[in-house]
Amino acid sequence: MTTPGDETPVDEWRAEFEAAARRPLRTRFRYAFVHTYKPVLDDAPYRSFDTTAAYREWCARHLPAWLGYGPAV
Amino acid sequence: MARRFEYAQAEEIRDAFARHGVRYLFIGKSGAILLGYPDTTQDADLFLEKSPANGAAAARALRDLGFALTDDQAGEIERGKDFVQLKNGPFDLDLVFAPDGIEGFEQAWRRRVDVEGFPVCHPDDIIRSKEAADRVKDREVLPRLRAFRDYWLARNR
Repeated sequence: MTTPGDETPVDEWRAEFEAAARRPLRTRFRYAFVHTYKPVLDDAPYRSFDTTAAYREWCARHLPAWLGYGPAV
Repeated sequence: MARRFEYAQAEEIRDAFARHGVRYLFIGKSGAILLGYPDTTQDADLFLEKSPANGAAAARALRDLGFALTDDQAGEIERGKDFVQLKNGPFDLDLVFAPDGIEGFEQAWRRRVDVEGFPVCHPDDIIRSKEAADRVKDREVLPRLRAFRDYWLARNR
């Protein structure tokens, strides 16, 4: 038996998954997609990279660390 | 700055890509959200089959959707640059021709999930690509995404 306060993150997540499953896809979209300005990343209308590795390297070199696009190490 | 990505725009992608015969899959967090994963993201990521015919079809479909592609940019998409970031249209879109952690389009296509007509990568593939990319933001999302995968598999068994 669990009492309030005993829930693990997985229990909480499962409750969120159940709640999301009850919503129609159109509603889930409304809650899921947001748009905020991301410095550097949003400052060019088009970018392309020959390889995914080159894209990762560009992100690590040029984007502010707090955006989270850099390597986790 | 592009507007927020909306359901109607996802439908426009689905319909325009179908008209032009583009082979693609939703991947990344936008793919997970289509599968039911409750979280937020900023744009849509599409995994495209890397072939000249598919790239040319994608460029035509993107122009139909209102992306202002120059001929050079359309040529790059046709040739299949591994990663193309589009912010020159009605919404932001990342085109990924070689996602980390996935061996090839055909394998991912065979495992795809259809969500109301949207072709979506299997949650295992979405997780594999995030594990392989291993960015700060991927590590943050992976524990919850793995829990969602387990939930989704049990629900769809």
